Amino acid sequence: MTIHLSLLLWAPAALALVGAVLPGRAVGRALAGLGAFAALAYAIALVIDYESGGGLQYVTDEIWIRELGVHYKLGVDGLNLFLVLLTTILFTATTLWSLSEKTREREGQYWLHLGLGHSFVLGALMAQDLALFVVFFDLMLIPFFFLALGWGEGARAEKTAAIIKLVIYTLVGSLLMLTAAIALAVLSASQSGNDLSFAFTDLTQVTLTKGSQEWIFLCFAAAFLVKMPSFPFHGWMPDGYKVLPLPVLAVFSGILSKVAAYGFLRIVIPILPDAAVHFQTLMLLIALASILYGSVMAFTVTNARLILGYSSLAQLGFIVLGAFSLTEQGAQGAILQSVNHGLVVAPAFFLAGAAAVRCGGSEDIRDMGGIAFRAPILTTLFLIVAMANLAIPGSSNFVGEFLILLGVFDAKLAIACIAFTGVALAAVYTLRLFIRAMHNRVGQDVDSRDLSLHDAVVLVPLVLCILALALYPQLALEKGEETVKGSVAAARLVQDPPKTPPRTAGTTPVPVTPGGGQGVVIDPATGQPVDPSAGGGQGVVIDPATGQPVDPSAGGGQPVQIDPSTGQPVDPANPADPGVVIDPGTGEPVDPNAVDPNATGGTP
Amino acid sequence: MQTTAWLVLGLPLAGSILIGLLHKQLKGKAAGYLGTAVLAGAFLCTILTLISLQDRTEEERQVVFVAWDYAKTVGVDAQLSILIDPLSLLMMGVVTGVSTLIHLYSIAYMVSDKGYNRFFAYLNFFVFSMLLLVMAANFLVLVIGWAFVGAASYLLISFWYRRKSATDAGIKAFVINVVGDIGLVLGTYFIFKHSGSLDFLTTFEGAEKSFGEHGNNDLTAGCLLLLVGAFAKSAQIPLHTWLPDAMEGPTPVSSLIHAATMVTAGVYLIARMHPLFELAPTAADVGAVIGAVTLLVAGTIGLVVTDLKRVIAYSTMSQIGYMVMGVSSGAYVAGLFHLMTHAFFKALLFMAAGSVIGAMAGQQNLDKMGGFRKAMPFTFGCFVIGGLALAGIPPFSGFFSKDEILLVIGEEGGWHWGLYVAGYVGAFLTAVYTWRMIFRAFFGEACPEAKELEGGHLHHAEVHTNPANGEVEDTDVGFPGSEHHIAERAPEMKVAMGVLAVLATIGGFLQIPKVTHILEDFLEPTFADSHVHHATSDGLLVLGLVLGAVLGLAGIAVAYRVWVQQPGTSAKVLERFKPLHTLFVNKWYFDELIGLVVVRPGAWIGRVARSSFERIFVNGTLVGGSTGVIKASSSAVRAVQTGLLRSYAALLLLGLTVVGLYFLLSA
Repeated sequence: MTIHLSLLLWAPAALALVGAVLPGRAVGRALAGLGAFAALAYAIALVIDYESGGGLQYVTDEIWIRELGVHYKLGVDGLNLFLVLLTTILFTATTLWSLSEKTREREGQYWLHLGLGHSFVLGALMAQDLALFVVFFDLMLIPFFFLALGWGEGARAEKTAAIIKLVIYTLVGSLLMLTAAIALAVLSASQSGNDLSFAFTDLTQVTLTKGSQEWIFLCFAAAFLVKMPSFPFHGWMPDGYKVLPLPVLAVFSGILSKVAAYGFLRIVIPILPDAAVHFQTLMLLIALASILYGSVMAFTVTNARLILGYSSLAQLGFIVLGAFSLTEQGAQGAILQSVNHGLVVAPAFFLAGAAAVRCGGSEDIRDMGGIAFRAPILTTLFLIVAMANLAIPGSSNFVGEFLILLGVFDAKLAIACIAFTGVALAAVYTLRLFIRAMHNRVGQDVDSRDLSLHDAVVLVPLVLCILALALYPQLALEKGEETVKGSVAAARLVQDPPKTPPRTAGTTPVPVTPGGGQGVVIDPATGQPVDPSAGGGQGVVIDPATGQPVDPSAGGGQPVQIDPSTGQPVDPANPADPGVVIDPGTGEPVDPNAVDPNATGGTP
Repeated sequence: MQTTAWLVLGLPLAGSILIGLLHKQLKGKAAGYLGTAVLAGAFLCTILTLISLQDRTEEERQVVFVAWDYAKTVGVDAQLSILIDPLSLLMMGVVTGVSTLIHLYSIAYMVSDKGYNRFFAYLNFFVFSMLLLVMAANFLVLVIGWAFVGAASYLLISFWYRRKSATDAGIKAFVINVVGDIGLVLGTYFIFKHSGSLDFLTTFEGAEKSFGEHGNNDLTAGCLLLLVGAFAKSAQIPLHTWLPDAMEGPTPVSSLIHAATMVTAGVYLIARMHPLFELAPTAADVGAVIGAVTLLVAGTIGLVVTDLKRVIAYSTMSQIGYMVMGVSSGAYVAGLFHLMTHAFFKALLFMAAGSVIGAMAGQQNLDKMGGFRKAMPFTFGCFVIGGLALAGIPPFSGFFSKDEILLVIGEEGGWHWGLYVAGYVGAFLTAVYTWRMIFRAFFGEACPEAKELEGGHLHHAEVHTNPANGEVEDTDVGFPGSEHHIAERAPEMKVAMGVLAVLATIGGFLQIPKVTHILEDFLEPTFADSHVHHATSDGLLVLGLVLGAVLGLAGIAVAYRVWVQQPGTSAKVLERFKPLHTLFVNKWYFDELIGLVVVRPGAWIGRVARSSFERIFVNGTLVGGSTGVIKASSSAVRAVQTGLLRSYAALLLLGLTVVGLYFLLSA
């Protein structure tokens, strides 16, 4: 099945735009729903079709700005596959929830912003070019500013103040990131002597000097930590969360923060491995502070939204912790936990909203209580979501946390032990929210009624997703495994350099002298260079699938390169690339000119 | 065998989901019968599994069944798998058997409660979780069962969730159990680090290879952390404070979860992990000592508590102390034997207590009870059998199992003699507090409720109050139910209690010293790899048996004298030992201690965080407001001038801590 990522990317925005232009309320609503569902259906097809173990799939690569080397390049692999699905699920849920709310001013514009937000988030997740990523990363906030301003809660002055704060924070982060992105591309190009390129695959080929890596790292980290947010950069969060309309907040908290977490695993750790190792302890400590601070705050505040907001602060701390454990387990856990947290926090916001509606609109947990008796279904759903949020073993959140902490345990024992306090605190604040909202005596203005149909269409599917993933987390783990390993491989190599020069295929790009008949080929199965003399002066290649030397005559006397992801010889007859080498980390063809001259692997 | 084994696990889960989905359709006692039938089915499947396991040769009696890969990635090998061996089968038998009886009892006991269907859905879910725990074939599934059991326990403790005392008790139990879960997970990490596998059998077989023949520090740390998990679940000191509060739940819950099954999970864990604990003798010794301390402390508190259910709760703590002490000292079979007999007589005692509480219309205070002997002969009979078994009077079941534990400990010699003495002191205390409870509830002058019952009318309270704090109940929702039920008038309760009374009487015959060793033979395949072998000396055996019987009888005699013959005695004794009494009544101040060490500092940090960091950075003073930086700097100056010194001090402290930690960890 051919899947065009551009179709998935632009469908929500395009349909929302059409809906905004066409007259009629019903048309706009229908198109908004259609856009969300189309993207969801397409994303489901994508996940089903995706082959686990492979590198980047469904790549779209067009040159966008030739002079700057910016590509319009999209692709999906194990890192972003499930985040793309999560985005479409959450936007669909938000759209459905918003559709059922009766009156809304300037409704056409609301759908337009929601659709744009949907597309931009997808863009940031699927972008395989740093410049494109930066563009989408900044663009995706703009619709949310307008959503907060136009349809947010609270007085106008309050909204403006909160949004200005948000803008200041993210602007600083974005500028730093833009600088860092440009510097990264320029330095890479000058160091390797190639044309300017922002593609991730090109950037990972070049290892910058340690000094450059470090300041670029700090810029990226600042941008991502603000966006997540993470302690101590969360100043915008409480006010921002208070003014966002609730359905928008569900998707905002569910997915926007994950783009930042994803950025660490996609960009920062693979491209700046030395800096990642250098700043590992610092990042772990920031994550740890986030966990503890978020947890403590979550059980001192009384506003349901803020409880969930601080809870997210803590959970994102776990995700950063996993990523910067720089272990395969930690990274795998971080990706899984990103999906889990999004899947849990969104229904939690909807449920908090449902509880608030039932107690006269107050979101203060002191005004709630006692709904359970007349609303058993609502309570059961809340209970499941609460249990998942506190990562009870048996939920997929637990598997994520288990892997994250296992990774940290291997990397820094003390930090893992302290981080476990966050696990206990999660139980305290989550149960406190659940009990205050659902149990105890009936609150004063509480009108207990069970789930309405409109709550159910959103909540029940989300809870079913949580349950399904809890039963079979392997689904997400399996498809992500290979890519995740690649994402931390370079940093692991820096941290733990092997005694002999690194020859392990699958972790470093394999340098090959292009065009010659003497190219040394690393056997991906053994990691050993294949002795060219064994083939009578010709490059002999061992087929990794069979372990047998591949008949050199099949390649017309030229070294035959084996694509490690398929085990098939690459067609040497293709004149455009006489010695195509496939980067085992990404599955992408490597530009032979981009090979890092400083790389220690393999000797020509 | 594979089918029946999975059915044991699947039936209760199916029952729970079914009752949940049909909660509007199931009327009357339908949910109760459905839940009970499902468990009876699970018990039957356990028997069938047992039969097919016994057909195998001894070496092949450890079988693993895999459902699917759960989290098999990046070096972690977690599958959804179950282990069927004699140990798990024993636990499955106890869990499904006792659960079936308690479900049967609940059919009648809970019938006027409007949460009837919810109750059975939760109770079935609990049994599923408990079975998952005992059938787990790897650490991850064990942790899942462990946590699910805690969640089910939380739901049932908070079953009457309109009571604040119930929701408070629930959250307390849950959080302490989460602490236990964390211990278990962290312990797993330490073990996994060396074994490289989460699977039990793989880990155990390779234990000597991965940890060295004498273990290593990581293994000791891992085993100690596993003990944290075991202590939290089995209410051992200092993680026991949730258990007495858990008595907020309905009585069948106390009977099933907080006496017969869940609280014994820690004992099961230590027995299951015996190949690891044998390589980590320090951890095993810690377990044994904590068990001994717990059994004594709980026994002393049991002497002075006046709430009927809490007396039994402290007794449970104390009895589990025996089991933990036993399995930690290598007395695996004896510990598990006591686990089984305890499940019988303690479930029976709770059921009988529920019947008395029913007759008192929900009142649990021993001070208000008295003289129920004539009004409730069946309940009284059950209480006596349970009391004799608990006090360890021959030939009731508790006699044989308790003495077997102490016998093995005595044979260890050395400092284990301390544990031996503690065990017999505890036995005496047990007899005293058990029979104090019985004499106070059933002897003496009949209380008004007892008289009313003798006249043929079950007492019905006009106003329902929460026994924990005297608060008037919010009864518009119909629970706790306005009507109560007693064994004498409910055949379901009578059958359940009758069966347990028989088991509590004859259960000990499975292991009569020198005569029968049925349980030992049965469990042999699980413990075949154990290095602990005890040579029994006849002298110690006889001494133990005589000592146990004499101390038990002496305890009953003392209780009889103090509370029946000369009812004024206890007040005089209390006067003389006032400080000791205060210590016991205040439960050795453990709640206060935990509050001081854990809760208050946590709340303090929260307050400080809110009043310093959040106020400065978040609430718009520094980086907020529309005027941005200018306003920020001016307000920062103002903040200093108006004396936010405390906040700054806290910030400084925080900064220093972070910097300090950074250098510490990077060094």
